[in-house]
Amino acid sequence: MDTNAINAEELTYRYGDLTAVDHISFHVAQGEILGFLGPNGAGKTTTVMMLTGQLRPKEGRATLLGLDVARQSKKIQAQIGICFERTNLYEQMNAKENLELFAQLFGVRSFDASALLARVGLAGRERDRVATYSKGMRQRLMVARALVNRPSILFLDEPTEGLDPVSAEAIRHIILEERQRGATVFLTTHDMLEADRLSDRVAFIDRGKIVALDTPHALKQAYGQRRVMAQVVGADGRLEEREIVLDTPDTPDTVRQLFSQERVVTVHSEEASLEDIFIQITGRGLV
Amino acid sequence: MNWRIVWTLVRKDLKLFFRNRFFAFVSVLGLFAYIGIYYLLPGSVEEAIKIGLIADELPPIFDELQEEGLDLVLLDSEAELEQRLLDGDITVGYGLPDDLMAGLLSGSKQQIKVYFSYDFPEELKDAYIILFRELVFMMTGQELNVQAEEVVLGQDMAGAQIPPRRRMLPLMAVFVLMIETMGLSSLISAEVEEGTLTALFTTPMGARELFVGKGAAGAGMAFVQAALLIVATGGLRREPVLILAALLLGALLVTGVGFLMASGSRDLMSVMGWGILAVVVLALPSFSVLFPGLFTGWIKAIPSYYLVDTVHKVINFGAGWREVGANLLALLGLSLAFLGLGVATLQRRYR
Repeated sequence: MDTNAINAEELTYRYGDLTAVDHISFHVAQGEILGFLGPNGAGKTTTVMMLTGQLRPKEGRATLLGLDVARQSKKIQAQIGICFERTNLYEQMNAKENLELFAQLFGVRSFDASALLARVGLAGRERDRVATYSKGMRQRLMVARALVNRPSILFLDEPTEGLDPVSAEAIRHIILEERQRGATVFLTTHDMLEADRLSDRVAFIDRGKIVALDTPHALKQAYGQRRVMAQVVGADGRLEEREIVLDTPDTPDTVRQLFSQERVVTVHSEEASLEDIFIQITGRGLV
Repeated sequence: MNWRIVWTLVRKDLKLFFRNRFFAFVSVLGLFAYIGIYYLLPGSVEEAIKIGLIADELPPIFDELQEEGLDLVLLDSEAELEQRLLDGDITVGYGLPDDLMAGLLSGSKQQIKVYFSYDFPEELKDAYIILFRELVFMMTGQELNVQAEEVVLGQDMAGAQIPPRRRMLPLMAVFVLMIETMGLSSLISAEVEEGTLTALFTTPMGARELFVGKGAAGAGMAFVQAALLIVATGGLRREPVLILAALLLGALLVTGVGFLMASGSRDLMSVMGWGILAVVVLALPSFSVLFPGLFTGWIKAIPSYYLVDTVHKVINFGAGWREVGANLLALLGLSLAFLGLGVATLQRRYR
C-alpha cells in the first residue's frame, strides 16, 4: 500500500511551446511538510495547479492519496485544502459566510466557523465584510478557508508573502498544527528561513525541473560551507567584516592570522542558507 | 448532479446579487417604475373621431354622421379651432363658407379649409379631404351607387381597442428580464475577475453544478421580477399558467443570453455594453406590438418575438394554449439553444 500522500512521476506541462514543468518526479509522505522553492516562473504554481486538478498534465502522472489527479480530480479536491497565492474571497460577504459557503460545498456537517476563525486570530471580526479586512486578515481567512474540510493535504502558495510579522507567525503556527494533526503540507514559498524552519524536506525547482530535493540539513551538508564571521577594527577605526571558510587546509593559518594581526571584536559561526545553496546549484537567486 | 451544491450556489448568488447595491437598487426601482409607468399610461382608447366645424349651423347629412362614430363640434372661429387642434381635443377641422349649401346648389366651386395638427399622419390627410368630398356628393343628392360591406379579419377590436398601457406590457417584461440578466452576467464576470471561480472549482463542485446553479439563480430572479410586474399590472387574469410558462421560458432565454454576455465580459462596464446591445435587439419585437405594422417578417428571427407575441396575444386578445402553443415550442427550443450556447462559450473561455 502506498504510504505517500503525493506521488508525481515525470509530471510535465506546456503552455504552447513553453515547457513550464519538465518531467518532474517526487513524492511527499503523509504528515510531511515539503517546501517547494524556486524563483518566479520556475514552475511552482503550474505544479500546484496540476496536483490540485486545476490543470491536466500534458505528460506523466500524479496521484494524491492514491487517486489519479487527471481522472479523479473531484474526489481529490474533496480531501485537500488550497490557499491560493492570489486572495480570492467573496468581498461582499463576511468571514463567517465565506467559510460556511465552502463548508457547505464540501458537505461538512456541524461546521463551527467561529472556532476556525478564532484559530486564525479573526475572533470578533466574523461578521465584518471581507472588503473591510487588511491584507493580513484576508490571508488568515484564506488559510482558514483551506482548512474547512479538515484536509488530508494542504497546499499553501506563498501563504505569508507580504504579511506583517505577527500575521506571518500566526500562519506558520497553523501550518505546524496541521502537520501535528497528520495533514501533509505542500508549501510554496520565497521565504528561505520559513522553508528552513517549517519544512521536513525542500525541493528546489528551476526552469521547470527539480534540481535538488532533500532535508534542509542534508542540503546544507551537501552544498553549504561552514564559515566564521568576525568583526574587526579596521585601520581607520571603523568595524569591518572578515569571513573565514572552515574545513579547508588553510583554515588553521587563517584563524591564527586573524587573532594575531587584527583587533577582533566579535566572532560567530554561520551556516549556509538555503538561498546560498539555491544560488550555488542554479547560478541565480530566488527572486 | 449534486443538488446540495446547486442550492448552496443559488443561495450564494442571491445573497451577492442583493449585496450589489447597484443591481439591487436598479431591480427594485425598475420594478416600481415600470408598474408606476403602466398605471400612468392611458387605460382606454378614445375611438370616436372628433371633427371641428367652423360653420353657422350643422350642414345636412352631418347629423347622420354622428351616429357613425364621428363626434362633430361646432366652433365659432378659426382661432378656437386651431387651439383645440393643437391641444388634441379634435382630430381634424373643416372651415366651411357661410353659404355652403346655396353655393353647392348653384353649381359654383366652393372653397373649404381642412385643418390638421403638425403631427397628423400625412397618409391620412387625403382620407379626410376625400371624406368631405363624399359628404358633399351626399348633400347634393349625388351619392355614388356603391354599397360597402365591412369585413374584419381576426378579432374585431371596434369598441375594444387595446389601451397603450397594455401594449407596453410586453416591452416592460423584456426590460425587467434583461436587467436581471445583466445582474447575472455581472456576478459571473466578477467571479472570474476576483478569482472566486477558481476557488469554487477546487471544491467538489463541478461545471454542471456551477452552470445549473448560476442558471437557476439568474432565471429565478428574472422570472420572479417579471411575474411580479405582470401580477401588479393585472396581467394574470387570463390564462395565468400560460403567461407564467411564457415568462419562465423567457427567463431561461435571457439567462442563456446572460451567459453569452458574461463570456464576452471582463468587468461591469463590458457587461453594461453587451447588455444594452442585447436589450435593444431583444426589445425590438415589443415595438411591433406598440406600433403594429412597423416591422416585417424578419422580426420573427429575434428570439424574444415568441415571448412578446405570446404575452401580447394572451393578455390583450385572450389567446389560449392552442393559439400560442407554437410560440411556446419555439421559445422552448430557442431558450435551450441559447442556454447550451451560453454554457459552452463560458466553459470554453474560463476552464
